[in-house]
Amino acid sequence: MKLLPFIVLLLFSGQLIAQISDFEDISFKKADSIAHSHKGEDLANLPELSYKLTSNLDTDVERFRSIYRWVCANIKNDYSSYLKNNHRRQRFKNDSLKFNAWNTKFRQQLFTKLLKKKRTICTGYAYLVKALSDLANIECDIVQGYGRVSTTNVERLTIPNHSWNVVKLNNKWYLCDPTWASGIPNPETNRFTFQYNDGFFLTNPKLFAVNHFPIESKWWLLKGDLPTFDDFLNAPVLYGKAYSNLETHDAPKQMHHTLKINENIVFLYKLKTHIKKEDVELLIDNGSTRRKIKPKSVLVNNNQLTLEHQFDSSGHYDVHLYLKDDLICTYVIQVNN
Amino acid sequence: MKTQVFTQNQSLKTFGFIAAMLALFAFHPIYGQTKSPSTEVSAKERSVSGIVYDANGPLANVNVIQKGTRHGTVTNDKGEFKFPVKLKSGDVLVFSYLGYEKQDVYITDDTSFIEITLKDVNVEMIGALDSNTPYKSKRKKN
Repeated sequence: MKLLPFIVLLLFSGQLIAQISDFEDISFKKADSIAHSHKGEDLANLPELSYKLTSNLDTDVERFRSIYRWVCANIKNDYSSYLKNNHRRQRFKNDSLKFNAWNTKFRQQLFTKLLKKKRTICTGYAYLVKALSDLANIECDIVQGYGRVSTTNVERLTIPNHSWNVVKLNNKWYLCDPTWASGIPNPETNRFTFQYNDGFFLTNPKLFAVNHFPIESKWWLLKGDLPTFDDFLNAPVLYGKAYSNLETHDAPKQMHHTLKINENIVFLYKLKTHIKKEDVELLIDNGSTRRKIKPKSVLVNNNQLTLEHQFDSSGHYDVHLYLKDDLICTYVIQVNN
Repeated sequence: MKTQVFTQNQSLKTFGFIAAMLALFAFHPIYGQTKSPSTEVSAKERSVSGIVYDANGPLANVNVIQKGTRHGTVTNDKGEFKFPVKLKSGDVLVFSYLGYEKQDVYITDDTSFIEITLKDVNVEMIGALDSNTPYKSKRKKN
């Protein structure tokens, strides 16, 4: 019976908020350098690759880190496949036979391309992270859902468009997004640029929830009330740099606001690292001019950032928050007389 | 002996529990180090070969490895393989190939030829890209 509290703790430990701060004592230097030392390896022998990436590391989190970093640094995003797939999926969305036939054909093409050219789209990244983790006996899964960024049709997402991963470490599930962590493609040139963003590794589920909506609700990894699809569609637009700078985005929860002249609006964030007041700027775009201004009030208290602002003239404003020149998020504010 | 020192100071129950937990980790079946009578009978090593298919027929270039080791091989154009080291009951072969579900096969007393069909990964392929292009809202025309 003495074991009972221990067992209860074990059962419920999976319910706690899981994020990278759980591993503050662990340095990922060795894992990152192992991943780096195997740059350019091919995918013909996944068991051998998984072994090389993980066998000299002591903990599962380091082993997973090495796999994740390798995938993020070696797999390119395939913009043309993404566009082709998007187009077909939209076209066939009301015809399940054609939709499924397309998916099967596309999947085969995609895995061939991944194997031969190491190029893929989200599900390919998520699949590879899972496959390499499975071979290292680390429990990992693919999450299918909706991803919302500035260039997707943010108010009318109709079919799932994004995949990411969950990984079980020390009996707790964690979130990560290898596709968005790997880099950013230039939509004009279609050229993908590797630009690793560490913010998508074992991310705080509260931040992740702002622009990731899983189809299976268990993968929110959130306690309490879960966001509805409308909450998700109405949330502010977050950018990759939000993940490097913020621990959570607390308020406002919506992107669109209607204010009166001089009415106050409050913005609340939890920061990952300390920033100076001078580093906080708002870029205000009224449709014809763009100007960077300081919010009327900036308060940095430990890792809590509170901003307050009022607009002194009416208009329709896209308000972009910048921290240290990093674009964090966007709100749309209508100011009336 | 350590056991005697332990039993003098600790209750037998606690020791039993700790020993059981240690045994659980130390003698994980992958390493096959337990020498119980049952494994001695089945510990005879033997050659294992086989053939791997997918829904369309024999599947080439499938990785076949012994779990927990670096022993492995790949299937030929006919989907066939001959495992390079001898195996014994309790060993596990892992079959994997990009785009297919990984499968584990446990070697038993009568395993010498394995026929296995790999299932392709049944996920919808999707992919939104991240972007650092600032969002531009739609404006009402006056």
